[in-house]
Amino acid sequence: MIQFKNVNKWFGKLHVLNDINLEIKKGEVLVVCGPSGSGKSTLIRCINRLEKIQEGEIIVNKNPVHKRSSNLTKLRAQIGFVFQQFHLYPHMTSLQNIMLAPVNVKNIPKSNAEKIAIEKLEQVGLSDKSDSYPAQLSGGQQQRVAIARGLAMSPEIMLFDEPTSALDPEMIGEVLDVMVNLASEGMTMCVVTHEMGFAKKVADRVLFMDEGKIIETGKPDEFFDNPKTERAADFISKILTH
Amino acid sequence: MMAFYFQRLVEIFPFFLLGLWMTVKVAFISLFNCTILGFVLGIFRAGKNKFISRIIGVYVSLIRGTPFVVQIFIIFFILPEWGIQLEAFPAALLAMAIMGSAFICEIVAGGINSIPKGQWEAAVSSGLSLFQQLRFVVVPQAMKVILPPLVGQYVLLIKDTSVVSVIGVMELTRVGWITVVRIPEGLMVFSLVGVLYFVISYPLILLSNYLERRMA
Repeated sequence: MIQFKNVNKWFGKLHVLNDINLEIKKGEVLVVCGPSGSGKSTLIRCINRLEKIQEGEIIVNKNPVHKRSSNLTKLRAQIGFVFQQFHLYPHMTSLQNIMLAPVNVKNIPKSNAEKIAIEKLEQVGLSDKSDSYPAQLSGGQQQRVAIARGLAMSPEIMLFDEPTSALDPEMIGEVLDVMVNLASEGMTMCVVTHEMGFAKKVADRVLFMDEGKIIETGKPDEFFDNPKTERAADFISKILTH
Repeated sequence: MMAFYFQRLVEIFPFFLLGLWMTVKVAFISLFNCTILGFVLGIFRAGKNKFISRIIGVYVSLIRGTPFVVQIFIIFFILPEWGIQLEAFPAALLAMAIMGSAFICEIVAGGINSIPKGQWEAAVSSGLSLFQQLRFVVVPQAMKVILPPLVGQYVLLIKDTSVVSVIGVMELTRVGWITVVRIPEGLMVFSLVGVLYFVISYPLILLSNYLERRMA
């Protein structure tokens, strides 16, 4: 469903993605981890071309994302993206946040879009917050609305960029629960996170990056219990001690 | 003597109202033009295309760095030498549009640039077109930043219409000039002119203050 072929990207002199080859299959849940600055966020931001690559190919659902000519709007409508800082629209209620893209990108009539939005809010456990503005919600609630906003487009792929890193510890669980449910429904997911519990529970594969390279991939249990490389072992010991 | 001149002033007051009407016409047509043009320029000024943004930047600096009266002279007296002859009224509107849009452009660009990158990214990621990103996500939020200085700028633009009297547009200030020739009581005549300007500007000053308090 998502294919990286010899992908290279530089920020100035910094080689952020170094010859990345990767395939993510339909229904697969991939967890990407690695130290900060390792290129993991950049990696998933390339999938919907929030970042452009300089070399190689990225093919999503048969669309060549790296090509200028690709229909980005249509492609992006099929990919949900959840940000570390939520990025809800502060001037809109939860419901309006969720309805905006279905109404304006997919041209779904407002009444239908509202039904979908209410349904998605239920799915993330926030049906009572439909008329709340983001500022009236806790971080965990905001992130769940952001997930609902992504789901309302009935995406084929959901991308999560450190979805729990900006949250207070007591709110991480509610967001992860939503993601676990999503994974169990067969959503194709690519998640940048250090939440080992989540990775062990639902990930089909863990990918470890450092300095722009994929250092190691493996089943979550193997990866966390018996990492093959020293760098991965070092990283795991660091996230475990905290 | 004072009383006599005051009597004369009352007699020709309708003439002042005509001037006021012309001022209102120039002012409000210009506010409309400047706002539309200023928003378009401001959006491109804040846009990703660095080349276009720079060109607009140069335009804004040129306009902001030269006196308005000089700009009007160029349009009214120098353009005809290149074959572009305009009547006083359209020339005044053109000069106002050029000058006002430059100021509003910077206000709008500042507002748009104040919106965090994440808002754009969220909108882009959901598949909204650039126009939709601006219309639904960025501009509504930027309006909070734009509106108070924008209304303040409106007040300045209304007062700047007095400058178009130099090319003979029969607006309030010009009426003052003409009147003072016949009624040599400068203080009295121009106080009246001032009061009439104030009548138009003051509601906008109040609005600007209100918006500043509300949007803060």
